[in-house]
Amino acid sequence: MAKLTHAQIDNTVLATLSPPDRTYWLTVAGLFIGAFIGLCCWIYQIFVGIGVGGQNNPVAWGTYLINFVFWVGIAHSGTLISAILYLFRAGWRNPIARAAETMTVFAVMTAGLFPLIHLGRVWMVYFMIPYPNQRNLWPNFTSPLMFDVIAISTYLTVSALFWYTGMIPDLATIRDRSSGFRKKVYGVLSLGWTGQFEQWRHYIRGYLFFAALATPLVISVHSVVSWDFGLGIVPGWHSTIFAPYFVAGAIHSGLAMVLTLMIPLRKLFHYEELITMRVLESVAKTIILTGMIVGYSYITEVFIAWYSFNPVEQELFHWRMFGDYGLEFWIMFTCNVIVPLFLFFRKIRTSLPALMVISILVNVGMWFERFVIIVGSVAHDFIPHAWGLYAPSMIEYGIMFGTFCMFFFLFLLFVKHMPSVSMTEMKEALNSGDGDVHE
Amino acid sequence: MHRRTFLKLAGIGSLSVAVGCTSDPDKKLYSLVHAPDDMVTGKATWYASTCRECPAGCGVVAKNREGRVIKLEGNPLHPINQGKLCMRGQAALQGFYNPDRLQKPLRKNEDGEWRAVPYREAIAVFREKLTDAAGGRARMMTEVVGTTTEQIMGELMAYVDSPPPLMFEPYAYEALKTANRITFGIDGLCSYHMEEADFLLCFGADFLETWLSPVEYARKFKQMHTVREGRKNLFVHVSPWQSVTAANADQWLPAAPGGETAVLLGCIREALGARNGGELPGGIGPALHDLSEAYTPERVAELSGLSIDAYRKMVRLLLNAKRPLVLGQGVGSAGDDALATNVAANLLNMILDPELKRFDFVHRHRVEAAARRSEVYDFFNGLKDSDASLLLLNNVNPLYALPPASAAAGVMAEKDLFVISFSSFMDETSAQADLIIPVLMPLERWGEYGGKTGLVSTLQPTTGRLFDAPELAQLLKVMTLPPENLPEKLPRIQSMVQNRLTEAGQIQGKQEWLRTVQHGGIFAADAKPAETAEEEKGSSISPSKDAETSLRNVFRNAGNRTAKNAGPVFIAAPSLRFFDGRGANRPWLCEYPDPLTKVAWQTPVLMHPDTLAENGIRQGDIVRVASEWGAVRAPAYAFYGMAPDVAVISAGQGHDGFGQYAGGKGANPFIILPYEPEPVSGAPSFLLSPVRVEKTRKQLPLAHTDGNKTQHGRKIALTVGLEELRQHDAHGHHEKHGFGMHEFPFTLPLPEGYDPHRDLYPPREYDYRWGMVVDLDRCVGCGACSVACYAENNLGIVGEERILEGREMSWLRIERYHKEDQMEKVTFFPMLCQHCDNAPCESVCPVYAPHHSPEGLNNQIYNRCIGTRYCSQNCPYKVRRFNWFTWQWPSPLNLQLNPDVTVRSKGVMEKCSFCVQRIKTAHDSAKNEKRRIYDGEIQPACVQTCPTDALTFGNLADKNSRVRRMTDDPRAYQVMGYLNTKTAVIYLKKVVQEV
Repeated sequence: MAKLTHAQIDNTVLATLSPPDRTYWLTVAGLFIGAFIGLCCWIYQIFVGIGVGGQNNPVAWGTYLINFVFWVGIAHSGTLISAILYLFRAGWRNPIARAAETMTVFAVMTAGLFPLIHLGRVWMVYFMIPYPNQRNLWPNFTSPLMFDVIAISTYLTVSALFWYTGMIPDLATIRDRSSGFRKKVYGVLSLGWTGQFEQWRHYIRGYLFFAALATPLVISVHSVVSWDFGLGIVPGWHSTIFAPYFVAGAIHSGLAMVLTLMIPLRKLFHYEELITMRVLESVAKTIILTGMIVGYSYITEVFIAWYSFNPVEQELFHWRMFGDYGLEFWIMFTCNVIVPLFLFFRKIRTSLPALMVISILVNVGMWFERFVIIVGSVAHDFIPHAWGLYAPSMIEYGIMFGTFCMFFFLFLLFVKHMPSVSMTEMKEALNSGDGDVHE
Repeated sequence: MHRRTFLKLAGIGSLSVAVGCTSDPDKKLYSLVHAPDDMVTGKATWYASTCRECPAGCGVVAKNREGRVIKLEGNPLHPINQGKLCMRGQAALQGFYNPDRLQKPLRKNEDGEWRAVPYREAIAVFREKLTDAAGGRARMMTEVVGTTTEQIMGELMAYVDSPPPLMFEPYAYEALKTANRITFGIDGLCSYHMEEADFLLCFGADFLETWLSPVEYARKFKQMHTVREGRKNLFVHVSPWQSVTAANADQWLPAAPGGETAVLLGCIREALGARNGGELPGGIGPALHDLSEAYTPERVAELSGLSIDAYRKMVRLLLNAKRPLVLGQGVGSAGDDALATNVAANLLNMILDPELKRFDFVHRHRVEAAARRSEVYDFFNGLKDSDASLLLLNNVNPLYALPPASAAAGVMAEKDLFVISFSSFMDETSAQADLIIPVLMPLERWGEYGGKTGLVSTLQPTTGRLFDAPELAQLLKVMTLPPENLPEKLPRIQSMVQNRLTEAGQIQGKQEWLRTVQHGGIFAADAKPAETAEEEKGSSISPSKDAETSLRNVFRNAGNRTAKNAGPVFIAAPSLRFFDGRGANRPWLCEYPDPLTKVAWQTPVLMHPDTLAENGIRQGDIVRVASEWGAVRAPAYAFYGMAPDVAVISAGQGHDGFGQYAGGKGANPFIILPYEPEPVSGAPSFLLSPVRVEKTRKQLPLAHTDGNKTQHGRKIALTVGLEELRQHDAHGHHEKHGFGMHEFPFTLPLPEGYDPHRDLYPPREYDYRWGMVVDLDRCVGCGACSVACYAENNLGIVGEERILEGREMSWLRIERYHKEDQMEKVTFFPMLCQHCDNAPCESVCPVYAPHHSPEGLNNQIYNRCIGTRYCSQNCPYKVRRFNWFTWQWPSPLNLQLNPDVTVRSKGVMEKCSFCVQRIKTAHDSAKNEKRRIYDGEIQPACVQTCPTDALTFGNLADKNSRVRRMTDDPRAYQVMGYLNTKTAVIYLKKVVQEV
């Protein structure tokens, strides 16, 4: 493959910002309607009560929290790719870092909606904010849900800032290439970037520190989310393995989502030269690794339940595998552990359709993992008399559909209006002659 | 736009914002200008009255707030129930406040449509029809009423030269009454000193549910059947299926339907053999000897299906018992041989204890006044043939309770018979009437009803009236007066009761009357002993003159039933919840799941899992049970406490009308029962064989509240063998060490329970630390506590659909666990908030809505709750309930709501509060009187109503309190104590003994 030039990179990326056609707008409109349907479902739920969903006693947490954890998990790999791999100087991350970060920001935004949707009285959500008040009422900082509030908001702030910081030089490039109203908008967004040496010097340093700052968050956010479960005493939740298990699972799902998003993007925007097969392969290889970590966690959980000699745990895990939610468990296990093993074959991991299918399957599997953990534990916990099953209602499906639409709506808007591949970092890679990007 | 136009528009806009958009309707507070003397806003007044939900006649005290009755509790002075009340009694409130209660008289026009008419008009019609019926053309059928009302009814019927009213009860105990006549010469229903027995053998009488006087017998049963000094008396139950009563037996022996008589005759044979039988009065000894001779153990085993070993053991225990008591069949499994069983049970009692010390022939149950079923049939048949023109019905529902083959429906449809129903509901019978005159319900009227002979128990209005309705007795009394010169003041029932009591010499003067009303009757402490009591007892107990012939007659077919049975047997059992169906429109009773099946709102047909499997039926399949008289459809339920090939349906549901909670729900088993009463006793048969049991293609998901039937080896509802308990060292009984699931320390939720090795947080200091002790050995699973909780704490009624979704709101539930290797052994286990000291719910709430009070209560602050539901997820006991919707109380049910308890709206979590409002009230009075709260001063609603005193509440921090002392019991344990939650609800293990 011929070596890319700076101009080629600019041209390829900027070509994606050309005025979109009708299909694009129709898709965007469709997604907006989908999101609106979800909104309507939520409004209905607020007026009628949480009972319009399928949660009950004992399963008081349903798809809302499944989706919350799912989206937080998705949000994970964006920062992993942009920050951790940046620090590791893994050059193959450069072409996909921007899209991954974008995915992160929108996924956190989507995830952040779910706790609100989940609340019985969302209009009282401000009780969770530690604001001064006459009665000296404070939030309970020992509650994992308070950890969540802090962790998620921090993560959203940092990942959004990191994402935006990374975009500044690219925005300036767009500003320079555009005219009229667009020039004004991108002018404001690029914060007066001129590309002077001093600016670059500060920028590179700043970006590096930012990456260092964001790195612990990658680990912390999903660890904190996992403590929602790990700190509970429910059998199937109360386990020290949860933090690493969740982080690995999050990266697993995030990488899969990156593939799910990048493969069509690569095709539509003709990014073949930027996002090479080598990049996709690297992602696929990482998925093998995370898949095996996740598989190890599953097996460890079952082992510990057996080894603990705790009949409640033993019964629970037996039931998980062979009980009412056995199908869900085996979907989870197959999609998350077995399916990624196929990526060991070079033929499969270099085939775009196969990669696409596997990435979607992993996402499905990861959704079911959250289902199995969240629903499958309380449905069958300490008191057999109180056992009960749960199935989502149409309203929950509506809201779920709406949030998926919202995510893709935002993502689609972004890729046509912002640079979906970091031109700066692509050029850096060219200059540093990193062989990982191009062969 | 012009400036002026702009100003105009802006003005209109801001005005409309200011005026038009107020969303809150006007709320006005009215204060009473002239408050009644006994009404202080915010303070409850209590009125003693008598429960009329079943013929038992328990005393109640009704809590009245601001003119409305909001809660019923048992009257502690009343000798029948001694302060306790069953769930049906609790739910009397929902009859009174029922949204389906008729508010105006209704008259049916020519086209059969109902038209509301004013009372004046309705009463005028009544008088006119009564005048027309003069000369013996009026008839009256009533529920069992008190003597005063009975007298007034009699006077009215005499006034029109008609026969006296007939008292109709679907459960009239004809077989028992007749058995008492044959064996004791008393045509009535004696009561039993069950508490004095040391061995109770029962053949189906469901005395914990509906039989005669369930609250009374539940109490007496547990007085007898409790651990005392390492001993516990025995209770053996022999019946074709396991009712709640049978589930409480030490040993339940499944007998083939109809086999009970054989078992009893076998017992008689052995008892006669052991005691020589010569002492039997009336010379029936030899006859009995002849009759029972054939019932060798082998034959008994063959006829009844009992294992011969179990039977022999049972006989040995019976003969060795010092104070045995044998009870015959209840209504539950009463077939044609109910008479034989009851006679045999009486005879066996006579042989075992010739003095019949545990029988009380003086205080007989009032329900004996009810007519026999044969008389009821004759009543309707007579109506058909006679020229009667007026039929008066008082609160009876024969069209529901009688088999379709009876003449009742045909008679009521006849044109020339005018039917007036004095009912407050449009039930099956009222719907066929020509005129419905709603009358005052028992909670709002005066009256008198003694549940037992010699007992005076009064009714008085406990609440302001909801609707303008007449008092029935007064209305009937007025009818006997000439209409042209009615007295200025109409005769008052209270005066009539007072006069009657004064004439009988039971009270003197107004003061004593006042005290009677305040106490709710004349009871032991202030009662004058009935004059004839001892004398009557001594003289009259002897078999009737023709006893010998009767016996031969009665036992002619004994035991042959089972032999001739080929095919499934069907039993229509009385319902703990709905009794004979009269409770079917009370939402609490519908919502509370049946104690055995845990199915709410529905009527399943119970069959043994093996029987189901043999017929290819799965649980939830709709099964059609058909006899030659009709068919009933109900979902199948696999229940282990069944003899093979027996199908049981509880009575009570399956109404066509009656109201929004009863209509169309469940199934009515009465419609397939045979018509012919048993010839000697006139008893209807509630058992039927053979029936066809067919699977249909349809299914009905069962609205059951239990997730699983067994404990899966977990330490939840624990039992301990009597032997094991005896051997237990009384000191150092509690495990002090251990960390695992099977040996965890008993840790009180007090500073003493702090252990630095196990606890992260420092101990909490308490002045009061509220706690409860639940004695599983005393819990019979009747569910009164749970319904009392619904009443006290404004719990929402969610309905069948929501229960299917798993959203019931009960704060206190009775978990029912079958023993894994012996599924017919059942333990009932009340589960409520454990008020943990290390509460898992408290630490996970982000906003401190579950809050640990300085007195150890785990309070739920509704206003603070934002509905994350994390507390519920993390609660190992799963006792928290979420308000999935804003629950509705259709008017006037809302008037029953307890004003001391917040009515929760959608989106907040709730759970048992230990009735914190009662704790607060006790604090207030203690503070006013400058003292500490007494031990036992606070009784949460569940504790207050428990008929068997299974629940005890008090201050755990006080070393001398009852609860604290009870925790020293070697049986004390905490559910899943290994979680170190330090629960404040301490359970005492159920004591089991092998028979």
